[in-house]
Amino acid sequence: MNRTLANRLTPYMFLAPAAVILLVALIYPLGYVVYASFLNWNPSQRIGQAEFVGLRNYINLFSDESFRESFFVTIRFSVIVVSLEMFIGVGLAFLLDRNIRGMSALRTLFILPMMISPIVVGLMWRYMYHPTVGVFNRTLKALGFESMPWLLDGDWAFASIIIADVWQWVPFIFILSLAALQTLPQSVMEAARIDGASGWQSILYIKLPLMMPVLIITFLLRLIDSFKVLEVILVLTNGGPGLSTEVMALRISRTATEFRELGVAAAMSNILLLLLLMLTLAMFFYNKITEKRALRQKSEAAEEM
Amino acid sequence: MKHLRTIVCSTGMMLAASAAFAGNPYEPYAGTTLVINFPTTPHYNAVMKILPEFTKETGINVEVDQLQYLKMRQRQTLELTKDVGDYDLIGYVVFSKADYVYADQLENLAKYFMNPKLADPKYDADDLIDGYVANIGIAGGEKGYLPGKTGSLFGLPFGSETSILGYRKDIFEKHGLSVPKTYDELLELACKIPQLEPGMGGLSSRAASGHHASHAFLLHLAPLGGRIFDDDWNPIMNNEAGIAAATALKKIVDCGPEGAQTFGFAEAGAAFLQGKTAMFLDSTQFAGQVNDPAKSKVVGKVGWAMHPAGVRQASQTGGFGIGIPANAQHKEAAFLLMQWLTSKHADKLIALQGGNPSRFSTHEDAEVNAKFPHMKLFGEALRYADPNWRPIIPVWGKINADLGTTLSKVLTENLDIKEALDGVAKRTRATMEDAGYYIWQ
Repeated sequence: MNRTLANRLTPYMFLAPAAVILLVALIYPLGYVVYASFLNWNPSQRIGQAEFVGLRNYINLFSDESFRESFFVTIRFSVIVVSLEMFIGVGLAFLLDRNIRGMSALRTLFILPMMISPIVVGLMWRYMYHPTVGVFNRTLKALGFESMPWLLDGDWAFASIIIADVWQWVPFIFILSLAALQTLPQSVMEAARIDGASGWQSILYIKLPLMMPVLIITFLLRLIDSFKVLEVILVLTNGGPGLSTEVMALRISRTATEFRELGVAAAMSNILLLLLLMLTLAMFFYNKITEKRALRQKSEAAEEM
Repeated sequence: MKHLRTIVCSTGMMLAASAAFAGNPYEPYAGTTLVINFPTTPHYNAVMKILPEFTKETGINVEVDQLQYLKMRQRQTLELTKDVGDYDLIGYVVFSKADYVYADQLENLAKYFMNPKLADPKYDADDLIDGYVANIGIAGGEKGYLPGKTGSLFGLPFGSETSILGYRKDIFEKHGLSVPKTYDELLELACKIPQLEPGMGGLSSRAASGHHASHAFLLHLAPLGGRIFDDDWNPIMNNEAGIAAATALKKIVDCGPEGAQTFGFAEAGAAFLQGKTAMFLDSTQFAGQVNDPAKSKVVGKVGWAMHPAGVRQASQTGGFGIGIPANAQHKEAAFLLMQWLTSKHADKLIALQGGNPSRFSTHEDAEVNAKFPHMKLFGEALRYADPNWRPIIPVWGKINADLGTTLSKVLTENLDIKEALDGVAKRTRATMEDAGYYIWQ
């Protein structure tokens, strides 16, 4: 009797340390943020002194115009940035997937932007965008064009932060796509060539579908990251002009430090978290469905043969 | 015999010690080490140079934790909620007064000024600048954040500042312009200078989205007769005076140097120091840099004048004060340091090192004026320092941010001024309602 019980408990005992770590490192902080979002809590109070206000923070957020604006700024930013980065990054990978002399040096050079600290990236671009001494406007003027209001106008500022983010994160997608490309089975490529597939055809029908699992993960990682972008924008525009570049992460940070509303900041974080969770789940199910379909097609093809 | 000698000796020493005690109020605290938290502003950098003097005079050691002011504020917020704090004295930014006093985290200074062993009878509190004490030191009076019959003192102004107009003497002379005394003159000049001196902006102002735009607006609001709230906490920043202030700001920014729409305090100052604008209207804290050849291209060319008057003469009050945290470990010694730092003697030493004095007498001191000729005028300007130019209430941070981002839309996207301010007033009312300000109405 005892022995069977011990036997049955063994796997749980082995799991216990991992479960404890998970509980302490993941569930506790998450629970804390969820609890905090139900409080009217300012940083001069301890969490125990804060007043419990139920769902008021969430309700207020949904009628808060500024929050809505920053919510949509974030979505617009993420969609544009990630699509551009995927397009350019994957395109670059196709272009550079060949044996050129000095390729490894080139590759290192390409991923440099990714290695620079975001604060530095922000500062660098801020100087480049400077209305009078920045390199962009000086070049434009030297060529006889009008100077551009890079960070001075809402739409231009939005475009400017997109350019800076694309510059920094294209290499990430590039390097992962290149790695995926280089691990594709050579036999499939050869078969395609023998069957007379053109360059475009082999990219569209062979390489891209085979790279898809990697691309989806890359896309997801970038999407999650782009929803949380903060430092570059903080330094470049601090959310302005107006609220034109105030992404959610920046709004959360300002709510906690400037407005001193920790409960509201926690509620915003939770909304962001939910949004990301939904995206991740959607991606996961999409993946499952396509995998299943591929399997079915395969078995159907096998039956026909 | 030997034993007896020891007793005689130690009695003698005790007598000597008590004699010293009678003559030196610092004696009981000699050897104490105070830990203090200061911001890294030019004033506090000047203070750092004279702190060794305090240790020499009193035997009390001082350890300083100097931080950038926003970082300092965050650190203090955490530090002050602890049961036993690490800081004995803190420099706090003016809008922290509301938060700290409301959370009961700053010592009421009455009990120290009542204590004959601690309070220096020659301190002369009357000489402290009224507007600064009202703005930074006192809470609990009128509207809660101003002096009044129910108010009391929680801190002393230290590194406080007001607004002042700087102008390029050479440019004004070249075109025969006179220094603006009123807002009408100021606004006319602001747009006339770019025509007279192509490539040069009229007046350097902050305008960046958020705190900076809001600050620039408030700077004009009080002189033009406006306020954020009326006496019943109704938002009135959208009345005629408010619209005039926003219109003035827009005009100044439009006639300002290129890129003025994104200027913060540093950029606005830099534009003036680089000779890109003919005027500068902001904090006195900036004045120390204009004659520093390492930072300025306009050495010797800058004159100073009072903040121009609108319907009233009113300049800003802001900057920092010092107070004793309620969880400090060496409160009495901290009070002695605080009293020493704001005494006439130290105020002058700090002023000579380039700090902002907190006393009228220092502004008139001959030695200080010989080194900084603008000081007398600054002292004059301080008589008009308006402690109520912006409200110091816990929800101000949120209102300030909304005001600043909305004004930024006015400056960059040509949002209609009336519409913009009406929106701010509506949202401010909701914020105030939430915070319970209308519960008595």
